[in-house]
Amino acid sequence: MADEAGVRAAASGRTPPAARRRAAALSWRRLARSPHLVVGAAILALVVGSAAFARALAPHSPVDQAFTEQLRPPSAAHPFGTDEFGRDVFSRVLYGARIALVVGILADGIAMALGIVLGTVAGYFGGWVEATAMRTVDVMLAFPYLLLAMIVVAILGPSLTNAMIAIGIVYTPQFARLVRGAVLAIREQEFVEAARALGAGPIRVLGRHVLPNILSPIIVVATLTVGFAIVETAGLSFLGLGASPPTPEWGSMLATGRSYMLTAPWIATFPGLAILVTVVAFNLMGDGLRDLLDPRLRGRGF
Amino acid sequence: MARAVVRRFLPWVLVAALVPVGLWGIAQAQAPKTLVIAIGADQTGLDPQTVENNESGFVMSTIFDSIVNYKPGSSLVGPGLAQSWTISPDGKVYTFRLRRGVSFHDGTPMNARTVAADVDRAINPNNPCYVLARKGVDTYDDFTFGNAKDGTVAKMEVLDDDTLRFTLPKPNAPFLSSLAMVWQGIMSPEATKKYNCDASQHPVGTGPFKFVEAVRNDHITVEANPSYWGGRPKIDRIIFQIVPESATRMLKLERNEVQILADVPPADYPRVTGNPQLKLYQQPGLTILYVAMSNDRGPFRDRRVRQAMNYAVDKDAINKGLYGGATTASQGIPPVLWGYNKDVKPYPYDVEKARALLKEAGFANGFATDMMVYANPRGYNPVGGAKLGEAVQGYLAKVGVTAKITQYEWGAYLDKIRHTQYEGFAICGWSGDNGDPDNFLGDLFEWDYANNRQRTNNCTRHHNPAFDKLIQQGRQVTDQAKRAQIYIEANKILHDDAPGIFINHTSQVRAARATVRGFLLNPLQMFFHMELVSLQ
Repeated sequence: MADEAGVRAAASGRTPPAARRRAAALSWRRLARSPHLVVGAAILALVVGSAAFARALAPHSPVDQAFTEQLRPPSAAHPFGTDEFGRDVFSRVLYGARIALVVGILADGIAMALGIVLGTVAGYFGGWVEATAMRTVDVMLAFPYLLLAMIVVAILGPSLTNAMIAIGIVYTPQFARLVRGAVLAIREQEFVEAARALGAGPIRVLGRHVLPNILSPIIVVATLTVGFAIVETAGLSFLGLGASPPTPEWGSMLATGRSYMLTAPWIATFPGLAILVTVVAFNLMGDGLRDLLDPRLRGRGF
Repeated sequence: MARAVVRRFLPWVLVAALVPVGLWGIAQAQAPKTLVIAIGADQTGLDPQTVENNESGFVMSTIFDSIVNYKPGSSLVGPGLAQSWTISPDGKVYTFRLRRGVSFHDGTPMNARTVAADVDRAINPNNPCYVLARKGVDTYDDFTFGNAKDGTVAKMEVLDDDTLRFTLPKPNAPFLSSLAMVWQGIMSPEATKKYNCDASQHPVGTGPFKFVEAVRNDHITVEANPSYWGGRPKIDRIIFQIVPESATRMLKLERNEVQILADVPPADYPRVTGNPQLKLYQQPGLTILYVAMSNDRGPFRDRRVRQAMNYAVDKDAINKGLYGGATTASQGIPPVLWGYNKDVKPYPYDVEKARALLKEAGFANGFATDMMVYANPRGYNPVGGAKLGEAVQGYLAKVGVTAKITQYEWGAYLDKIRHTQYEGFAICGWSGDNGDPDNFLGDLFEWDYANNRQRTNNCTRHHNPAFDKLIQQGRQVTDQAKRAQIYIEANKILHDDAPGIFINHTSQVRAARATVRGFLLNPLQMFFHMELVSLQ
């Protein structure tokens, strides 16, 4: 879905120059009129807030074990209960938000940076450069995301940093495809030709004239991808390929909680809900941004 | 008139009315006493020399005798098919005097010739049924008798009808314990011949019960052998029912559809102990679990550091919290085994002492290292390595030792432990094979001088010449009491060496109806001596 939306946004290539466009698209009044965006941003603010103030909000340390307090159901002292080591699940979920956000955003950043470079180079230069880059991307897209991420982690060795890099690599193709499509449409425009005719080199043309004009689809896809990256990180940690203990990572919390699903369901439920809420927030924001930034959807309203 | 008739026939009518009652009584008296044991998975074959899985062992332990048997409820070796035996002073020659008048269930007489005919397929490469040459079988034959390939195999002679002799290339006292394993049960050679070397679904032994039938993934039935040399079993048949789901097994026990559960998950303990009609049987298993340290690398070269690690971890809390109350370990063997040193107590949880020892060793501020773990549960570690690692990591952090945990898949994990000079912590454990202390102390903590490296499963790379000397002595001495003394001493050394953080011995747990009498857990987990069990 994300790809399609992005490509659609990109394909509607006859866009006015950058500055005017951005001012029009992102005025606060327009932003506030998109319920998706507002709700998404509100939830996200909550998640970011709990991540930022985890130290102040958390009633307990996220890693301190206390076997005397093992597997307690939710109570005033432990709002989300305790896990098999007697650790406070609420505190762990709060600290987990930090990891989820940092990893999600960094992985997304890696994917975006690599994807933009690959996509612009392929789209602008064409020929064998494009063929090589895009076939590589096609091969990568042929693998299920998680499988590809597991292969990368297997090569790099299991750790949270490597999981982040793996997910960055895995999401590179969708950015590359999106950017290439947009660049293809833009590079034939008169203003690009004009810049070239005036003697601008490829770097100047790309940086000054092409990239600013394809930013909106990239922003949309980047927002949506943060959510996916968080889910994938949790997936890798669930499989033991991501965060190492005792890091309070949502995916690894799910993994350990799984074996207590019948006797202590709160261990897995709350990190699961945390993942759900965070990803929904990013998806709502992505949808809202797409509605705003895609001129063809503009004005249809919700 | 009518009254006269009544008076005349009433007694007869009453007597006639009582007949069914009487018949019912007779029927009651003769109803076969059947004991149903629920097991979690099907057997994979019932030919002792060709399988290694527990469920097969459960069934085979009722059908077969070995040359020597474990004594009821223990891992000590007592008479089996051999009534008595002598061991030469140099510890190499074992001479067994077999019982007279015992037959296999198919009528084949049991004597030195027939027993030798069965053992021959374990040691003689020219035997058409040579087990080690067969594909797809798991066997303890080379473990017990050695291998003809590398010249370690035992020599066997039939001296006369009742006397069988084994000559070992070098003294090896654990040989006797290995002979007692269920995996060395003696099969009728006629059966092996009749079924073309593979009588695994037609087992014929000499044991207290005879094989009746095995229905795939449903049940295995054995019936009493009335002429068993150890006395006729008190029950008439045993049905091993295969019930994969542990919740279903529990329900069946509560409804008296089965009388014994072969294993019970810790979550169900209260359900058994809270029910007066049920009884929980529990004893420390023939296992050990410890967190290995690289004895030859990093801070762990210093014994004080290793001892500090033992003081730093609250083993009792972990055993209670994660292992449903397993027995805390203090040395290299579990307390159910002879040679256990009762005077050696587990390292107490003492953070101050740990800090002091670390300071003495020059690590006042602690240190950082690695910890390797695996995820899957093992027989000696039902919660898996990752959980234990995380719990230990939490305690170590309190004395300034940061352990970075990396999890490996089981195959890769074993390879790392056995074939790399890893530095740091690793989760290690062991389930005993033959109930001999050498199978723990030797396999897990001995140095292999011939190749100047640790033995395969010595995952701490423990190397202490004084200890190794005792272990070698333990193999040469044949007197069991003397051997026990040697191992008691070795265990003391091991405790002080602290090659790993001694964690626990997981419990062997079974549940039974209160009506089951005479049932004994055996450290080797098998259903030995079921002829002693009765139903009230």
